[in-house]
Amino acid sequence: MTRETMIKNFLIFSTGLFLLAFTLGPFIWMLWISLADRADFLVTGKVEYSFSNYYQVLSAHSLHFLDYLTNSLIISTITAVVVTFFSSMAAYAVSRMRFPGRSFVPLLILAMSMFPQISIVGYLFEMFSKAGLINSHMALILPYIAWTIPIALWINMSYFTQIPLDLDKAALVDGAGRMKVLYKIIFPLALPGIFSSALLVFIACFNEFLFAIMLTIDYTAQTLPVGIALFQGLHGEIPWGNLMAASALASVPLVILTLIFQRYIVAGLMGGAVKG
Amino acid sequence: MASNNFLQNYDKGEVRTAWIFIAPLLLVVGVFVLLPVLGTFYSSLFLDVSYLPEHFVGLRNYVNLLSSPDFWQALRFTLAYTVAAVTLEAFFGIIFALLLNESFPGRGMLRVVILIPWAIPTIVSARTWQLIYEYTYGVMNYLVVNCGISAERINWMGTELGAFCALVFADVWKTTPFVVLILLAGLQAIPEDIYQQAKVDGAGMFRRFYKITLPMLMPVLVISLIFRTIDSLRMFDLVYVLTGGGPGGSTRTLSYLGFEAFANDNFGMGSTISVVTFVVAFAITLIYLRVGKFSEQLK
Amino acid sequence: MNATKITIKNLAKSFITFRGRVDVLKGIDLEIEPGEFFVLLGPSGCGKSTLLNLLAGLEKPSSGELYFDQELVASATGKFSGPFERDISMVFQSYALYPHMTVEENIAFPLTNLPQVPAPEVMSAKVRETAALLQIDHLLDRKPAELSGGQRQRVAIGRAIVRNPKVCLMDEPLSNLDAKLRNEMRAHLKDLQKKLGVTSVYVTHDQLEAMTLGHRIAIMNNGVLQQVGTPVEIYRAPINQFVAKFIGSPTMNMLTGALLEENSALYLQADGLRIKLPEATAASLRAKNLKQITLGVRPERLYVKSEGEQNLTLPVSVIENVGPEFLVYSFHKQGQIVVRTPEEPTGDNLNLALDAEHLHLFDEQGNRISC
Repeated sequence: MTRETMIKNFLIFSTGLFLLAFTLGPFIWMLWISLADRADFLVTGKVEYSFSNYYQVLSAHSLHFLDYLTNSLIISTITAVVVTFFSSMAAYAVSRMRFPGRSFVPLLILAMSMFPQISIVGYLFEMFSKAGLINSHMALILPYIAWTIPIALWINMSYFTQIPLDLDKAALVDGAGRMKVLYKIIFPLALPGIFSSALLVFIACFNEFLFAIMLTIDYTAQTLPVGIALFQGLHGEIPWGNLMAASALASVPLVILTLIFQRYIVAGLMGGAVKG
Repeated sequence: MASNNFLQNYDKGEVRTAWIFIAPLLLVVGVFVLLPVLGTFYSSLFLDVSYLPEHFVGLRNYVNLLSSPDFWQALRFTLAYTVAAVTLEAFFGIIFALLLNESFPGRGMLRVVILIPWAIPTIVSARTWQLIYEYTYGVMNYLVVNCGISAERINWMGTELGAFCALVFADVWKTTPFVVLILLAGLQAIPEDIYQQAKVDGAGMFRRFYKITLPMLMPVLVISLIFRTIDSLRMFDLVYVLTGGGPGGSTRTLSYLGFEAFANDNFGMGSTISVVTFVVAFAITLIYLRVGKFSEQLK
Repeated sequence: MNATKITIKNLAKSFITFRGRVDVLKGIDLEIEPGEFFVLLGPSGCGKSTLLNLLAGLEKPSSGELYFDQELVASATGKFSGPFERDISMVFQSYALYPHMTVEENIAFPLTNLPQVPAPEVMSAKVRETAALLQIDHLLDRKPAELSGGQRQRVAIGRAIVRNPKVCLMDEPLSNLDAKLRNEMRAHLKDLQKKLGVTSVYVTHDQLEAMTLGHRIAIMNNGVLQQVGTPVEIYRAPINQFVAKFIGSPTMNMLTGALLEENSALYLQADGLRIKLPEATAASLRAKNLKQITLGVRPERLYVKSEGEQNLTLPVSVIENVGPEFLVYSFHKQGQIVVRTPEEPTGDNLNLALDAEHLHLFDEQGNRISC
């Protein structure tokens, strides 16, 4: 073994270990505390492990954990479906049809995604107050659609442009209309890309916080991040065990989703990043 | 004739279909992004607080904002936070990407594991970090004291520097994976034979990194940093959970300042801050794009 | 079968790009007869594919008109029918098979788009019949990725002919095949077109395909039709230097130079090479009073003769044995000169004779001088 390979192996081993501790440390700590009966065991040294925190979070109605979860799932799913539908239609037009403005539209949409959420949310609050939508699922679904559709458009575009244009021509010659070409040819072929954009939209909505905290008021519409951010104990002291159990319940599905579909997520992130 | 020809090149039916395909997207973005942005700008010209009737004040909100120390504090913090976070993310991003680009047993697992921080909702990770930074029984202080870094526990959220570091570190943890993924793709695009050629030419490991990897990775690095910068400039949720803007308002980002104004029912000022936040983010993006273009021309 | 006649009147197409206006096609006039196998030939970028797309209805003309029989199918301002309305079919260079559908679904796809979708049994029978014609009926359940290049090619053709289109358009359909398969498919395609009798327009950059397949060939360059005619006409009497060089392999030898009168014979002086022109040619050139010409002669029309009978003498640079014959190359300032001869030549120089019948003369603009 040469000196260089020895150094290299040492570097690989040490950074690998560091990476493992760096990424997993906080996550493991979250799971650990969620299973412990008290959060201060590092000081007191006394601890017992059980699933009682999870049981409390799931069964205590006053915590509304299941309400938050349901809201999050409903809002994120509807948004992902609608965004997938609209963005793939637009991506099809922009990437494969000839019309004046085809290069302008994606740039316009990209520019729209540059606005920070804070410069939208104030006016949305007034808009939705007048429309009586505050504290409804709609109040989050509508802005989420608008907020995530640019990235979905760009990801889908990057996938659609990889499909040979000859397929469209052939299908048009074979008598299919544009809509049929999209659903019979492009959609099945770009399915991995469309799936990864849908997944990213879902995750983004599941994580979103600023819109959610401004546009909702209570558990009828609040999402998990809001619920967890506002999670307070009854006597001022934060019930860390419960909170970490709720956090674990909120993140484990996403983590599993990510681990299973990591290929699609990475591909989607790349597709979105290529736009830069 | 020429301009007529230009329009004739398009088939009317096709153009109509194309716009029908795009219409829903434009409608949604128009109503829920463009309209609110314009509305926010319009509101920023009004004095709009709950206890007074709304009335037009022109640019007075802007004048008030620019003369308030809170704003400059928030701007300074936002920029410092962004620089610190993005620099650290680039640093760790490169190191981890280089590692994951080598072949060694367990690489597949690490490539998956690195996604975990990215997948955890920001609020959840903020709450976890809050617990980690806890003064009496947080694991951070446990490590600090037991590893002999400091004899005393550190009051992370009680000092400006502590709060700043806490926020930056939580952000780096959460978003480094994104940078790693993009850089990894960039690394994989560098052809292997260039490295072999460099080896044949006698370049050592570090020299290969410095002379080949880094320059070829530059465009991808710039792209990922643009993304991260834009994101950091509008950061809100970590501050909300971890510090609540404290101590003494020292860790308020521009977004947080705007949120506070809205939460206090001061819509005029909230809108003003929102507009300024956007202008700052936009200006920095433009600078980045300039620099990015510049580096392209250099090649 | 009622075959369709295509009439193209003064058709033009231009694109506006960031660099300005690009005229891809300029004033094309053409009639393609019913049932004809018509080939559009030209180098890449000559506009032949654009012309095919205009015929297909995938693009809109900038001016001019296009008729299928008596029916106007496209004009710049007025009517424009899409591909399906025109009842055309198309075979692409990339085959453009739908990767997620089986061979059967691929071939059936055009049928599913008919205004009245045929009953499943009818459709299936039709697909099977077409597949049998192309000898791919055993592959119907496979996906395109599981097929060889030649099989994919057949599926693409099957999809194009399954609904008996009025016109079949082919865009370099054989270019992606290897050389051996290409020859096989070429013969197969010709046979198929004859059987079906459908008006076919075939785009290629390969002069050999054009010569072997086409009833007539149209040669294009820079968006302009150069010459339209049967393969024999074009080979025997190319209308200009471009056509002369494009058709035939190895390409026609070309030598440009001044005409000199000496000892009552006419010579062409081309950069150190002196060529005595045959008497008949000389006579007609004298009558035209030209000073500068380009002489074109095909490699097989340069005859190796013994000393004294020659019109020109060439130094031998390289000899290639290609089996039935020899190709002799002589490198010259104006490019290489090739001689095709059945006997292997000996010696460092080659004495060559010309015959007036098979000389091509071009003026300074590159146009043919008729003798």
